[in-house]
Amino acid sequence: MVDVSQHELVPDHSVLEEDALEEVLDEYDIDRTDLPKIKRNDPALPDDAAVGDVIKIVRNSRTTDQAVVYRLVVE
Amino acid sequence: MRNSTPKDIGSINFGLMEPEEYREMSATKIITADTYDDDGFPIDMGLMDPRLGVIDPGLECKTCGKHSGSCNGHFGHIELAAPVIHVGFTKLIRRLLRGTCRECSRLLLVEDEREEFQDQIEESRKLGRDLNDVTKAAIRQARKKDRCPFCGEVQYDIDHEKPTTYYEVQQVLTSEYSQRIAGAMQGDEEAGIERTSPDELAAETEIDLTRINEILSGSFRPRESQREAIEKALDIDLTEEDTNKLMPSDIRDWFENIPDEDIEVLGIDADRSRPEWMILTVLPVPPVTARPSITLDNGQRSEDDLTHKLVDIIRINQRFMENREAGAPQLIIEDLWELLQYHVTTFMDNEISGTPPARHRSGRPLKTLSQRLKGKEGRFRGSLSGKRVNFSARTVISPDPTLSLNEVGVPDRVAKEMTQTMNVTERNVEEARRYVSNGPEGHPGANYVRRPDGRRLKVTEKNCEALAEKVEAGWEVNRHMVDGDIVIFNRQPSLHRMSIMAHEVVVMPYKTFRLNTVVCPPYNADFDGDEMNMHALQNEEARAEARVLMRVQEQILSPRFGENIIGAIQDHISGMYLLTHDNPRFNETQALDLLRATRIDELPEPSGIDDEDQPFWTGYDVFSELLPDDLNLEFTGTIGEPVVIEDGQLIEGTIAEDEVGEFGGEIVDTITKIYGNTRSRIFINEVSTLAMRAIMHFGFSIGIDDETIPGEAQSRIDETIEDANDRVEELIEAYENNELESLPGRTLDETLEMKIMQTLSRARDNAGNIADEHFDDENPAVVMANSGARGSMLNLTQMAGAVGQQAVRGERINRGYEDRTLSHYKPNDLSAEAHGFVENSYTSGLTPREFFFHAMGGREGLVDTAVRTSKSGYLQRRLINALSELEAQYDGTVRDTSDTIVQFEFGEDGTSPVKVSSGDDNDIDVEQIADRVLDSEFASEAEKEEFLGTKRQPTNLSEYADTRFVEETEEVTSDD
Repeated sequence: MVDVSQHELVPDHSVLEEDALEEVLDEYDIDRTDLPKIKRNDPALPDDAAVGDVIKIVRNSRTTDQAVVYRLVVE
Repeated sequence: MRNSTPKDIGSINFGLMEPEEYREMSATKIITADTYDDDGFPIDMGLMDPRLGVIDPGLECKTCGKHSGSCNGHFGHIELAAPVIHVGFTKLIRRLLRGTCRECSRLLLVEDEREEFQDQIEESRKLGRDLNDVTKAAIRQARKKDRCPFCGEVQYDIDHEKPTTYYEVQQVLTSEYSQRIAGAMQGDEEAGIERTSPDELAAETEIDLTRINEILSGSFRPRESQREAIEKALDIDLTEEDTNKLMPSDIRDWFENIPDEDIEVLGIDADRSRPEWMILTVLPVPPVTARPSITLDNGQRSEDDLTHKLVDIIRINQRFMENREAGAPQLIIEDLWELLQYHVTTFMDNEISGTPPARHRSGRPLKTLSQRLKGKEGRFRGSLSGKRVNFSARTVISPDPTLSLNEVGVPDRVAKEMTQTMNVTERNVEEARRYVSNGPEGHPGANYVRRPDGRRLKVTEKNCEALAEKVEAGWEVNRHMVDGDIVIFNRQPSLHRMSIMAHEVVVMPYKTFRLNTVVCPPYNADFDGDEMNMHALQNEEARAEARVLMRVQEQILSPRFGENIIGAIQDHISGMYLLTHDNPRFNETQALDLLRATRIDELPEPSGIDDEDQPFWTGYDVFSELLPDDLNLEFTGTIGEPVVIEDGQLIEGTIAEDEVGEFGGEIVDTITKIYGNTRSRIFINEVSTLAMRAIMHFGFSIGIDDETIPGEAQSRIDETIEDANDRVEELIEAYENNELESLPGRTLDETLEMKIMQTLSRARDNAGNIADEHFDDENPAVVMANSGARGSMLNLTQMAGAVGQQAVRGERINRGYEDRTLSHYKPNDLSAEAHGFVENSYTSGLTPREFFFHAMGGREGLVDTAVRTSKSGYLQRRLINALSELEAQYDGTVRDTSDTIVQFEFGEDGTSPVKVSSGDDNDIDVEQIADRVLDSEFASEAEKEEFLGTKRQPTNLSEYADTRFVEETEEVTSDD
């Protein structure tokens, strides 16, 4: 089967560590549930991502080189 | 009004209202359907009871004592003789009926399931998802149970007949059970089913043989367990559907017993809303202020639609009670009940499918509660999101090239109506008096003054002189609009932010708004009768904001594509092309005339001396006068040749659309980004005036002769077309002889069509090329096409060469009669002529048949645009509604109103498309920007070096500091 996460157009998805997550939530002054969501069955997710984890996505950007986005894994 | 502070809304709760609450807030019970008595006074406890509020001026409200205008009105109530269903909740009622036990009213879920759904609901709430998904799933789960897990009662299916009737569908023993059993016992030889004897049946079902015989004779109805056994043994169905209508009172009793914990699982807050409140026992009567009656010219009173509906409800309610007390038969009671239900239903919503709408005597459907709220003209879209405003004006627009692009010509009569508030101080008191003394009729006059005590006085022709002397500091004067005031100008449809821009007023005679033609592109305006709206701003804050953020010059760069949306258009471009294309020469008078309307009042050194010893100025030099002195630019221009600007001097190239035009003219774009909006506004204004002078200098017109070609060329075109026709014939012949080879992936028919289309489009191009050969570069149509001012070479081809193939839905014209397009052709004629190929040019004129085909193609275009605008309009409305609450926050994130993050960085890069420019072909040149910033920061090269350099400058901080620094840091290197 094709592993989409290896495709060049799929940005890097990684599970965010708990303390890094705290920092992110602090920075934006939000709860976990205020983050954008991503479905658990999204093929781009790493295998060890579980519901409730926060995923860090690093995209290439024409203007800023890298754009970082966080998403909460949901059912 | 002036001193009232706006209140903050803390929170809003939506829920059901308890009947007792209706009664408590009611000012009076309504019992009579009549409104006014013979003397015209409202009847007590009638629909117009004075306790419900006042609408007639001068009267006092009997409930609150206020007068009309300040009294908002008070609700009354009607005690319904029998409960009725609220139409707004029919779906929820159905769900509850299906999900709860018919006997004990408990939710048909075991403890575990209930808890699971409860958890899911909480989760959904937290994630801001739709609760409906969970509650629907809960009901679906509950419906699966055919017995109540608590009381064991058998559950039946609930049928809902729209809008407000519910049935219980039970499977009961059919009355023909004995015949069916007997029939099945006969067996069926053809199907290979054996006969069953009563003995066998008795054995299989474990029922007594005598019982079986009794059942077969029809004298004993089998019990449920027996029925099931027989059904199983004989493989037959002995049931039929029996529907049992649920009256609203039954449903109410049912719902009253649903425990609070159970409805929480369905997403209902039991503290606030009980399900039985969805069945009405009391009907609130809206205050009279919500349904005012109007007095017609002839003195007759005309009641509001809502009042009419309430009259109906009360009448039926009365009749229902009378009949019930008189002990009328159940049938009549049920009919009346249904009628009451109908009236209450249509009182709330008169557009229910499956129900005939309640009508006025004239036959017009009544506008009841939900109709007042719904749709474009409804309360939300019509009265709250958008409403009519004061200090606005609307009229036809017309062009005025003498105005700056920042300005708008405002008719004097508008200027006299739209006032600006002047706060009189010591410093402007003289000015204020001057305005007042001019009165309301003289132009820079005033309409009202407000004294410090808050009293507002109208300025009239009679009192203006006297009033002017009384004006002191502390007064307010509503003066007329004058030149330089700022107003907001708008053209609908307002599709992007440049559809609403701020302009400076220039008061003018006559009745139209005047605007500079360069602002047509952002507004998408033309002057074929377009109208535009103007709004006069009413406080300093708004005026400042408009001036800083909304002025036209601030909108030169479009956020859509990051380039200028305002620039030279049409004749400006033709003019610039004529001025710069062959770099013509002008004598002093001519050059001065060209630059007349610009800031340039002195000519530069002449470009040269001509043969007659007269100095001359070239088009390049004249144009260069408008450029900033230090502008350097090099790019490929409109006509494909390089354009070079060095130190504000045009060295090479033609100035046309890609240079100074709207939608990304390179020079305008660069000037805006480097020199700012103000410089850009000056440049655009001057380019457009210079271009107008230039085009008038050369003269520019177009006529039919400009598109006529010599006879020799015409015959060559005819030949080409003849040739193409022949080739088409050949193709058809090959097709008919089955010699045509089909292209990959296409059928033979499609191949033929494609080849014919190809041949014909080549023919048109050839005809066009022949025609083009005969047009020189001075031909006005060619000038317009080359400069990009208007039109293309294709338009020229169609005017002079041949119009070419007409298409409907991308194919040659195939519709009309059976197997042919028109009755003029033989059936199955595949020729070019018969399928809409127009050989003639617009100049030579179309034949009637060609004209007809041309109209077919043209019609499709018109229909397409009409459909596209309405489709895209709706799409845009939905998009805007979805995005309208998103907001870029100070921390750079984009969030919605509930603070959930939509983007972590605005646009994922935190930049405004107006402030950066990057495209596929030009990445941002950070080096260049940095250099520019540094250059402008430092006065001299030495200063810059000092700042950037690696050498540490001597300080006077301490005697030892310098040596210490030198020791510590070997060399400081810059990051880049």
